[in-house]
Amino acid sequence: MSDLANGLRAEQHSAIVERPDVAVTHISARRGMLAGLNDAARAAFGVEFPLTPRALDAHGMTIVWAGPEQWLLIEPASKGVDPSLQHAKTFSGFASVVDVSDSRTIFQMAISRPSDVLVQSMGIDFEDTSFKPGDVAITHVSHLGVMVWRLPDGRGYEFACARTYTKDFRSWLDRF
Amino acid sequence: MRINCPFCGERGNDEFSYLGDASVVRPDASAPDAADAFYAFAYERRNVAGPTQELWYHSAGCHAWLVVTRDTRTHEISDVKPAQDIALERQNSASTTP
Ligand SMILES: [Zn+2]
Repeated sequence: MSDLANGLRAEQHSAIVERPDVAVTHISARRGMLAGLNDAARAAFGVEFPLTPRALDAHGMTIVWAGPEQWLLIEPASKGVDPSLQHAKTFSGFASVVDVSDSRTIFQMAISRPSDVLVQSMGIDFEDTSFKPGDVAITHVSHLGVMVWRLPDGRGYEFACARTYTKDFRSWLDRF
Repeated sequence: MRINCPFCGERGNDEFSYLGDASVVRPDASAPDAADAFYAFAYERRNVAGPTQELWYHSAGCHAWLVVTRDTRTHEISDVKPAQDIALERQNSASTTP
């Protein structure tokens, strides 16, 4: 490996962090309740839930599409506070609301453009012009299920994996 | 083979699980010929050379059930729809026919 490649590798490697103290809430619309759910979201957050694989920043959190009529709400956690309780109140009757903070690990990769390794490593098109800020994909890497999104403000990428696979996914990420 | 998930976009077939024939419909359990109808529902399949409707599950993606129309001779996929939409279509057409 060239010095340049080694340098890039070191720089990118140091840019990967596991986000500590984040609360993750899974929202799943009840059948036929999408319109009401979005009315409640607009009133509470000023935005609607994205209906396509997109992520957006609103109300101090990132809202990430997580499948048809499902989303993850990712926000800073403070001790003793479970934000999912408030979300459950906000969306009562419109959605199932589950705190999944303990079952997901969120990794952040602070790179403004996709590295060559990233582009070649997953089965989705990571090219800069194809996977734009705010885009989301649910896919797998070496049989590990992951969600990946490009941060809406373009600062980098985030990955969510099942907490059980944190170590395995971390070692996969560390190849960068 | 690649499948164009209506939710996620085009993905490799390694992300999907094949679940079988999507054209079979669960019979009416109260019909007089229910036993024969259930036998056919469970065991009888046509071995079509041409376009078929298949159930696929986007297991390593968005977890949606899909109905894929695929030509068994060429593997060409002409249509992919959420299975939920197909089920609702069938329900509606069943409820409008007297
Ligand atoms: Zn999908």
